[in-house]
Amino acid sequence: MSNNYFNTLPLREQLEQLGKCRFMSINEFGDGVEALKGKKMVVIGCGAQGLAQGLNLRDSGCDVSYALREAAIAEKRQSWKNATENGFVVGTYEELIPTADVVLNLTPDKQHTPVVNAIMPLMKEGACLSYSHGFNIVEEGMKIREDLTVIMVAPKCPGSEVRNEYVRGFGVPTLIAVHEDNDPKGEGLALAKAYAAGTGGHKAGVLMSSFIAEVKSDLMGEQTILCGMLQTGSLLCFDKMVEEGIDPGYASRLIQYGWETITEALKYGGVTNMLDRLSNPAKIKAFDLSEELKQIMRPLYNKHQDDIMDGTFSRTMMEDWANDDKNLLGWRAETAETAFEKTPAGDVEISEQEFFDNGILMVAMVKAGVELAFETMTSAGIIADSAYYESLHETPLIANTIARKKLYEMNATISDTAEYGCYLYNHACLPLLGDFMKGIKTDVIGKGLDLEDTGVDNARLIEVNTALRSHPVEAIGAVLRGHMADMKKIV
Amino acid sequence: MNIRLDNLTVNFDDRFQLDEINWQLDDAQHWVITGANGSGKSALAAVLAGAGDTLSGTLEGLPAKVGLVSFEAQAELIDRERRKDDADIMDVISEGTPVHEILSEGDRNPQLIDQLVQMFKLESLVNRAFRKLSTGESRKVMLIRALASEPDLLVLDEPFDGLDAHTLEMLQQYLAGLVTTVPMVLVLNRFDEFPEFVTHIAYVDHGRLQYQIDRNDKQAYNELYQLLHLKTTDLEVPGADPETAIPRLDPAQPLVKLNSINITYDGHRIIDSLDWTIERNQHWQLSGPNGSGKTGLLSLITGDHPQCYVNDIFVFGFQRGKGESIWQIKQFIGYVSTALQWEYKVGTGLRNVIISGFYDSIGLYTKATDRQKKIADEWLALLGMSDRADTPFNKLSYGDQRLLLIARAMVKHPPLLILDEPCLGLDDMNRQLVLALIEKICAGSETSVLYVNHHAEDKIKGIENYLKLEKREPAAS
Repeated sequence: MSNNYFNTLPLREQLEQLGKCRFMSINEFGDGVEALKGKKMVVIGCGAQGLAQGLNLRDSGCDVSYALREAAIAEKRQSWKNATENGFVVGTYEELIPTADVVLNLTPDKQHTPVVNAIMPLMKEGACLSYSHGFNIVEEGMKIREDLTVIMVAPKCPGSEVRNEYVRGFGVPTLIAVHEDNDPKGEGLALAKAYAAGTGGHKAGVLMSSFIAEVKSDLMGEQTILCGMLQTGSLLCFDKMVEEGIDPGYASRLIQYGWETITEALKYGGVTNMLDRLSNPAKIKAFDLSEELKQIMRPLYNKHQDDIMDGTFSRTMMEDWANDDKNLLGWRAETAETAFEKTPAGDVEISEQEFFDNGILMVAMVKAGVELAFETMTSAGIIADSAYYESLHETPLIANTIARKKLYEMNATISDTAEYGCYLYNHACLPLLGDFMKGIKTDVIGKGLDLEDTGVDNARLIEVNTALRSHPVEAIGAVLRGHMADMKKIV
Repeated sequence: MNIRLDNLTVNFDDRFQLDEINWQLDDAQHWVITGANGSGKSALAAVLAGAGDTLSGTLEGLPAKVGLVSFEAQAELIDRERRKDDADIMDVISEGTPVHEILSEGDRNPQLIDQLVQMFKLESLVNRAFRKLSTGESRKVMLIRALASEPDLLVLDEPFDGLDAHTLEMLQQYLAGLVTTVPMVLVLNRFDEFPEFVTHIAYVDHGRLQYQIDRNDKQAYNELYQLLHLKTTDLEVPGADPETAIPRLDPAQPLVKLNSINITYDGHRIIDSLDWTIERNQHWQLSGPNGSGKTGLLSLITGDHPQCYVNDIFVFGFQRGKGESIWQIKQFIGYVSTALQWEYKVGTGLRNVIISGFYDSIGLYTKATDRQKKIADEWLALLGMSDRADTPFNKLSYGDQRLLLIARAMVKHPPLLILDEPCLGLDDMNRQLVLALIEKICAGSETSVLYVNHHAEDKIKGIENYLKLEKREPAAS
């Protein structure tokens, strides 16, 4: 039975691990993939993330092959096709794991325990086991053989982007960590750095973190602002617009592409820039709405963070795993039946600015969600850098998936763990915002403010601008975006 | 007035020929004829003044009185004056015909002559011999003669050449005052000299009237501007950057050597046991129908195809699959394709798009050096886009994007430049633009060009090696 690793640590160490996060300089990657030269890397799992990382590593000069379960090979499943069509050597665990110097476990969270139990006895003495998510170690308390080095390299983007960004000569921001209980030769950091460089991550920025900080912040971000808030916001805004007589096709398009458009502004210049895209009266309106939203939703954000910290979340999710994903599958089916999901985006032109002007409530929701997630994480001991990445930074990435194929695409792209947390949030948040939504009219969602005069009170505008600009997520955002100045040049 | 040229072919003493010109000039239209040197623009203008021998086709509606100013007409008059002098058998120094006589020859309005002489500030020269005038002065005399003849059609071939700024401005104003009274055809090769009143532009190339453009068609107008710029500029392909130089290759080795290459999709073999060697300084054309594997073959060379790891490929000194990175390969290659253009959906400014070619990246993620910026600016000047250095790439027209990506591919002077259907999806004008740029590149560098096109007959000057792929039908199973 699983044993929550985090909960076994004394508070002092919990806080120390949660507080680990450092933005690394590109100069720390001067050795490139040198530490992996001559080493055999074997990837377990060939889904989107596994394939993308393998392709990148091979193109960087690393020796990469894929270990799949016998059944996947015998039945020529998709993972087998992915690997063989791309010219990789594919073999069973028994064939490849004993030859591996580095094993990259890129299977979904829920398979980690059986996979690790299967490969651990096969692994070479002194080899390295790499994760891209720390859930198995931190939440399930998996104990790894003492001679093995355990690291984490987690690109902060979906697999398709990991590959695309590499091909264009860049990379995606990546988090690395070394599990200190398993670093017998002290080579964990060198291996993690070389791996990050091999996937191109060093060009976009690497955060040196800990397994614990990664898990606790990643879970919090994905459940709340990243997926949960966008799902709840989509459903509420759509239903409200239709109820108020707005053409459903227009409403569907405004939401499906609206998140992407407004969070693009967020990516470039933080919450401040996103709000600055509004007229002065609309900005004040969005600010007021978001203050109200923050007040209503704060207890929910606190609950999510508390459940993540004390292990309640992972325990209940693992119960669902044991119950054949009954909740997850049920909620997934429910989402597919929502009016927003079933209404295709209408064939109407919406200009970039119109997404802001007619989506004031959506702007307010993103602002409230980003700030709440950031505030909750930092007050729980997670360092600001981590909290920034797991809230503001990733929001546009998730918004892109909604633009592609609505909530279905978002939930299909994110991990099962994120999807599970997203539904939890959504179920709690929908009723929580019931009264608030009663007061919402089309001036803030659907049509925009109908003003003859766009004048505002000077003092009020100054207050709002100051509040926006002095929020701590803006301070750390300015620093981190500065590190990644080159990111601005991407679309 | 309504002048019609139908399928008109005109020969000029076997020195030059205009072919199959179809053109109609209507009332209230004012045309500019433009084109590169030697394209036939002056010849077309001269046809309107009755020059040349018609071989076929018809020319109708020419007015009785055409005022023509051109270098040829000017040279002819000067020549006549010179011959007069030579013909003089008396042992006295000939003064030649004075300007005022030249001006009043034929049927001209004397008051208008006086007025124009004042305007052109030629008062002090009216008694001087015509053949003693400077080129600029005699040009003014030609202009006065043409204007004072009160013609039904005014044909001015490079009327602004050699005029001082003051005269130029005066003449432009004067011409602008004539727009309602006389139709004008001007031969000009500098866009910034096109007067406001011009309504249409005729572009001549290789003795053919290639494009007729309504000035209000802004996009066509801009494209024509660039085409003319590329055809006429003295600028050359900018040099490489010595600081980001590509490593030297062993001159004894081929650039690319593919041994018995296979590409297979879903069990279907697209390329079967192909051998191909590209030696240094060879230019190649690769052709074949859609689906014959052209792009697949190229991506084996560029390292973008995953099956490059299961084939015997030697590129730029590397046997593939021995621990090299694709960036070590890509540094030797410049690459342009439609797919790249789709991929390159960035808001990056034009200067940075060109600089990204130094790093083989889509978008620029590194701080550029001053020298790289300078080289990029030289490319922009060559393309006629200097004023758009900071314009976002995705705001450019499709054809301009293609030009810019060619500059990006070439900026580092790679040993191999791959142009995968560089004209695909372009209209004729943009095709001309791209081909003009490619010819400029082929002429001015040591880069081997690999040009891919599915029409084998669509050839580029300087390419001598051909590889033609056939489409392989799926084997019956």
